[in-house]
Amino acid sequence: MARTVAIVEDDAAIRANYADMLKKHGYEVRAYGDRKSATSALRTRLPDLALLDIGLGDEPEGGFTLCRELRALSAALPIIFLTARDSDFDLVSGLRMGADDYLTKDASLPQLLARISALFRRVDLLREPPAAEEVLERGALKLDLKRLQATWRATPVDLTLTEFWLVHSLARYPGHVKDRDSLMRDAHIVVDDSTITSHIKRIRRKFQSLDGGFAAIDSVYGAGYRWTA
Amino acid sequence: MRVSLRAKVVLVALVLAVIPLVGYVHVKQIERLLREGQEQALRATARAIAMALHDRPQLLALRPGEATSDEMQLILKSLARAESRVWIVDQNQRLLALVGDLKGRAPEDDRAAPLEFATRLVQPLTALLLDRPTEDFDDSLPESEIANGATAASALQGVPARRLRSSVDGRATIVSAAYPIWSGEQVIAAVVAEETTNAARSVYNRALEQVVAVTLIAFLAGALALLAFASRLSSRLGRLRDEAEAAIDSQGRVRKLIAGSAAGDEIGDLSRSFSTILERLAEYNRYLENMAGRLSHELRTPIAVVRSSLENLRLQPLPADAGVYLTRANDGLQRLDRILTRMGEATRLESLLRSQARERFDACGVLRGMISGYAAAYPGRRFELDAPEAPVWLRGAPDLYAQMLDKLVANAVDFATGDEPIRIRLEGRGGLAMLTVSNRGPRLPEAMASKLFESMVSVRTTGSGSEPHLGLGLYIVRLIADFHGGSAQALDREDGSGVVMKVSCPVVI
Repeated sequence: MARTVAIVEDDAAIRANYADMLKKHGYEVRAYGDRKSATSALRTRLPDLALLDIGLGDEPEGGFTLCRELRALSAALPIIFLTARDSDFDLVSGLRMGADDYLTKDASLPQLLARISALFRRVDLLREPPAAEEVLERGALKLDLKRLQATWRATPVDLTLTEFWLVHSLARYPGHVKDRDSLMRDAHIVVDDSTITSHIKRIRRKFQSLDGGFAAIDSVYGAGYRWTA
Repeated sequence: MRVSLRAKVVLVALVLAVIPLVGYVHVKQIERLLREGQEQALRATARAIAMALHDRPQLLALRPGEATSDEMQLILKSLARAESRVWIVDQNQRLLALVGDLKGRAPEDDRAAPLEFATRLVQPLTALLLDRPTEDFDDSLPESEIANGATAASALQGVPARRLRSSVDGRATIVSAAYPIWSGEQVIAAVVAEETTNAARSVYNRALEQVVAVTLIAFLAGALALLAFASRLSSRLGRLRDEAEAAIDSQGRVRKLIAGSAAGDEIGDLSRSFSTILERLAEYNRYLENMAGRLSHELRTPIAVVRSSLENLRLQPLPADAGVYLTRANDGLQRLDRILTRMGEATRLESLLRSQARERFDACGVLRGMISGYAAAYPGRRFELDAPEAPVWLRGAPDLYAQMLDKLVANAVDFATGDEPIRIRLEGRGGLAMLTVSNRGPRLPEAMASKLFESMVSVRTTGSGSEPHLGLGLYIVRLIADFHGGSAQALDREDGSGVVMKVSCPVVI
């Protein structure tokens, strides 16, 4: 059975393009142009994944509201924000609402597809009983590459998909300096340098909230970052 | 020629100088009246004596050499004025009698007390202009005056006369009046009464001195008051001008005016309206600063439409030659993307700066890390770092400091000519960490030098390669310098061979 992806996006052209693209990749797509129709339709039947725009018509925060409602209906539903906004503040508040990842609208469709399929893979694995694990261990850090989950000293760290990929890219070869370009490649994103900087900053903060002495991600000015453990 | 407000007001005050002139004319008038009065009085005296003698013709029947009779003396003395001299001459030009003395007592000093000091002050000045009457003159009665004197001669003809003449030595002016003494139809003698003009003269002098003193005081007081007023006005205007000039600093920030902002007069109005204009300018600046960010945000959606459409198109079966156009469209899209990213960079940075925490870091360490990266990033361009061995501690964010250096270096590389290396230099001096990035190349355009650090100001000629130049790089430098409590400056090299960008941030211990 094809998986259902719900797209809530107020721009008709983008909505149609994304829908076509996803259909071509074998997903069943349900597209909505505003929050009201989306809420009522999604309440009756939950999709397998939701792709939400933040600004919906005349509701600049409509996507956030919708995300809260969906999260209330299902804790496991993967949610991705797709937004024209790029201010840190919006992203942080979006992620607090429980989204699994976010992309700006200048992300390409392959990047979006990479996220969708990764999230579906994770959902599948979570349903199945733990079997063959693929785990990367670096000291206190443990990355479950199948479920896309990170733990630090056996405590789960709540990373978004992009953040998980970034941590994985760094921790795979401890001590090696990863420049911003290769980090972007590994995390399936194309953003400018300062966005990478703020991603790293956010990752550090998440680890530090669990362990105040966390200092495993080292900035190498002019080059990039490296994992020291 | 530049004439200051103060000088203009003083020039206008010169109009007040008419007042002494009016005073002078007035005093002249008084003098004329006084002299007229004196002449009238003399004439009356001469007439009274002539009348008295008319009734006593026997007194005039003198033989030469005989003394004047006592009665004659008595009449003359009683009728003559205190300071006059009276003499009588007969048809044979014989002097029949002479009474009185032209020299009187010195004129009294009766200056009004409040003006005394002032008049004394102006005396050196008036002494030059005024003829001071003197009692030291030759008061002899010359023979010629008796024999051929105009007044006496005229009176002997039967016509009363009066005239002014000088004393023999010319040091005093004498007024004389003559009146005939009739005996029947014949004139038997003439009475001549004389006085010096000294009394009138000293009254005139005193009046003139007082007028000069009073008007001079009035003039000086008025001029000083005007000067004080003008000085205050010009100092207020000067302050306003200085503030207005400094209101837009070298980095394009607009400050508010303080001078005269509460004053209720026209200068206050000027200051307030200037403040309003500056506020509008500041608003406009903010608008410009935000425009890039807003524009990039607004363009995102249509570009997403184009991108997703192109990606869908790629999945369609297309004719063989369509691939070329698809590739071109993609290239264009990528360029648009880069432009948008650049445009949004400053806005993202601004929002980042609002929440960024400051930490203590070593600027030297950051520079050393960065310099090796540049050699790789810009092959064919050499870099030279001159930084102290000891750490230079700053308070801020090392990431941002690095980003700032990136922008400075990118700027220097774009403008560098020849193969001279780009010099990056850090020195701690006077509590400031001075970072300079210097390159050989064209000088700064003069008109733009102070605006380079503003948003969307670029001095590049357009069309240089595929990298968009939006004039945001140095604006980002300024934002980050501000964040570190410092300032950014663009200068020409001293020998004019290139450009130096300078960022100074305060050092922390």
